[in-house]
Amino acid sequence: MLDRGLIDEVLSAARRHGGSFAEVFVEERSSTSIRLDDGKVEELTTGLDRGAGVRVAEGTSYGYAYSNRLDRESLLLAAEAASAALRGDAPGAVVDLTEARGAGTNHVERPAGELPAAEKVAWLRELDDTARAFSPEIVQVTGMYGDSLQRRLIATSDGVWVQEGRPRIRLVAQVVAKRGDNIQTGFHGPAACSGVEFLDVHGPAATAEVAAKRAVTMLDSIPAPAGEMTVVLAPGMGGVLFHEAVGHPLEADAVDKEASVYRGLVGTKCASDLINGVDDATIANGWGSYDFDDEAQPSQRTQLFIDGVLQGFIYDRLRAEKVGVASTGNGRRESYAHPPVARMTNTYIVNGNSSPADVLSSTPSGVYVTSLGGGQVNPASGDFVFGVSEGFLIEDGEPTTPVRGANLIGRAIEVMSAVDAVADDFDTWEGVCGKDGQAAPVGSGSPTLRISKITVGGTGA
Amino acid sequence: MPELGELTRAAVEAAQGDEAVEAFAEEGRTTEASALRAEVEGLTFAEQRGVGVRLISSGRLGYAWAADPSLDEVRQTVRRARENAALAEPDEFNVLPSAEPISPIPELFHAASAEVPTDRKVELALELERLAVSSDPRVTKIDLSQVGDTVSRVAVASTAGVDAEYARTDAWAVVVTLAVEGDETQTGFSYRITRAIDELDVGAISGEAVERGARMLGAVKPPTAKVPVILDQFAAMSFLGVLAGALNAESVLKGRSLFASMAGQQVGSELFTLVDDGTVLDGPGASPFDDEGVPSGRTELFTRGTLNGFLHDTYTAARTGEGQRSTGNAKRAGYKSTPGVGTSNFFLDRGETPYAELLRKAEGGVLIQDVSGVHSGANPISGEFSVGATGLRIAAGELGEPLREMTIASTLPEMLKGITGVGDDLRFFSSVGTPSILIGEMTLAGV
Repeated sequence: MLDRGLIDEVLSAARRHGGSFAEVFVEERSSTSIRLDDGKVEELTTGLDRGAGVRVAEGTSYGYAYSNRLDRESLLLAAEAASAALRGDAPGAVVDLTEARGAGTNHVERPAGELPAAEKVAWLRELDDTARAFSPEIVQVTGMYGDSLQRRLIATSDGVWVQEGRPRIRLVAQVVAKRGDNIQTGFHGPAACSGVEFLDVHGPAATAEVAAKRAVTMLDSIPAPAGEMTVVLAPGMGGVLFHEAVGHPLEADAVDKEASVYRGLVGTKCASDLINGVDDATIANGWGSYDFDDEAQPSQRTQLFIDGVLQGFIYDRLRAEKVGVASTGNGRRESYAHPPVARMTNTYIVNGNSSPADVLSSTPSGVYVTSLGGGQVNPASGDFVFGVSEGFLIEDGEPTTPVRGANLIGRAIEVMSAVDAVADDFDTWEGVCGKDGQAAPVGSGSPTLRISKITVGGTGA
Repeated sequence: MPELGELTRAAVEAAQGDEAVEAFAEEGRTTEASALRAEVEGLTFAEQRGVGVRLISSGRLGYAWAADPSLDEVRQTVRRARENAALAEPDEFNVLPSAEPISPIPELFHAASAEVPTDRKVELALELERLAVSSDPRVTKIDLSQVGDTVSRVAVASTAGVDAEYARTDAWAVVVTLAVEGDETQTGFSYRITRAIDELDVGAISGEAVERGARMLGAVKPPTAKVPVILDQFAAMSFLGVLAGALNAESVLKGRSLFASMAGQQVGSELFTLVDDGTVLDGPGASPFDDEGVPSGRTELFTRGTLNGFLHDTYTAARTGEGQRSTGNAKRAGYKSTPGVGTSNFFLDRGETPYAELLRKAEGGVLIQDVSGVHSGANPISGEFSVGATGLRIAAGELGEPLREMTIASTLPEMLKGITGVGDDLRFFSSVGTPSILIGEMTLAGV
């Protein structure tokens, strides 16, 4: 993308006031997005983005400057602006840049960028047709398709040089079903770092059916009960809760700022014996996977919990250096326009030993959650809340009537300690996580699991 | 480097035959400083510009954008938009607005603020942290202390004769405090958005965050009960966001708004008047024209509880017909996105009840100071919502015991009907503004 001589010059300029290291992140991203709504292809957008960010660090302080021009003059200006945050007089060195090669985590068979847009439009038509054919009660369908290829070059003053392309593909179905005045929605949005071969499994028809079924099912729903009760989470959903309620407080910036409920608890038991959790950016074609993070650290599988015992935190480079540990390869940024922050990749609760059928049948009453709408956590207090977008009452060990308007509320450590069954039917769920004003694609995953007692907010009796 | 106006006009000149072409260009310079433990945590400088091109040919719409393009690259962007349009469905309501006279709002640009040196922003971020950790012995740490500003410029031009441009300055400060007692930590949060760095009152911001965090220490989970509820300005603001989605004509036309068939009806309490106004300077959402060049205006969405209508851009107005005009509410996330309906300054009109009087009226109830999960927990189509909440009990006209881990569940119409008091304390945090609101009765779910 840019030649080494120029990058070397920019790094040297960035180190004119010293600091612990300097880094250049260069990006070119081409993207296509198509939106079909109300039966029509409403929008087809192609974009071409490029830019570079220069960071100069000193301890956990940093200066960051970026520009969406890639000429020498603009890059040197950015280097100068970033280094202005430092006051030192002695320039720092730049080690000879040596290329590190990645493992090829996100292998692509058929690049999405090489396909004509007309084929992508046809997928959305198939999605629309399938959803509408599912039931006469389907009144509205929105289909969205997106692909992008982000080419990145990262070089640091310690001599690291990496280049990696990240291919992304996502299909989303949002379906509205209506019966009289009762309106319900269903959503499904599978995604991967992959080529279009991803759609061989998660194709338009399959995606549409999941969303349509969800919307129609919810037409029969009654208002959710309120109060403390047992909740069973369907495969994937426990991962969403784990990401939000546990993963965010494990991110090293929250820990460093003493704004994490898990601070000081490494090596102690702060979840049920049944909880084994990881953050793993090495999953082939995972939505949160990569060879190198956005600070050029290699990706890895990081153990977070073993049998309920907390193993460690999720680190970016600055926070890892501060406490003298190795980065876990979790320094991520939305784009060149953002400095990296510590954040999750693919965050999973791994399989246990129970069968999902046994977990349900041994639950006399409660709520079975099959889709979560998203959530929020306060990492300092551990308080979290989740919207339930599809759920059912559990009566005598069977999921029965669908419920709507429910949410789950609790505190991370208490709720994770209250998990009393973990099944062996692991599945994933792909989402986009927001933190510090930056969006990042993240994978979540878990098998079926049961929380013996949690507060459910609902409008019903 | 070409001026924004040169870029937009180059795109318009590249139109062929009877194509309608519109170019939206923006550029901005942002500086953001954050402080932690009395040192500079981060200092970020950003310069960005880009152009987005909307092209309509025989009713078919295509869009393409490019970061920091040259004049040639703008012409290529028009070509890509043309290719994309060829694959879209024709829609007779895809039209560009014609040029209308625009009244400039020079107050949006503070020349002095644009020249504030970086050191001043760093000092303010450090001062914000210092104030936040020095007024209450239980608050000695922060999670975030940040001060920033943006100097930006927007230009729109089209084959329909629009050719407009304006400049603005925006500044903000935000602090998140940590209040600690024993092994309990509570966070407090406050922020302000102003037009100039020197209008930021860091003392007021830190004081508010300290109070809001510290008063939550010792919070308990309450028993489930139906009680009077005051939504303070922070909490009320979260609900206004959901209302904004449901009052968007695009949601209405596509059957995604619970208000779709309620125009002209009494939906809320007599005390409920809701306004969108892109011409008032009280909030940061003012602009002389919207993101497709239509002059900003004032729309009273609810008047004393009666729903008057919805927010429109040019597309939704054309599709609605019946003489509907754009309300000047075409908004974009930036040059990378096509315009859609959005709010400008969106606010619940000031009431007459002083805050202390609201507290007296809510005897035995709860003041909600924060709601969470509104995005996922509120359904703008059915109007049902269930959200997490924290707050304080109200007893003898005073705030008492702090409460956490509770949820509020209701429907938007029930909540709007249930408003029995609106404070005289209207406040804009962002482009959304609201006074404190008293709701006669809501279910709080806890133990």
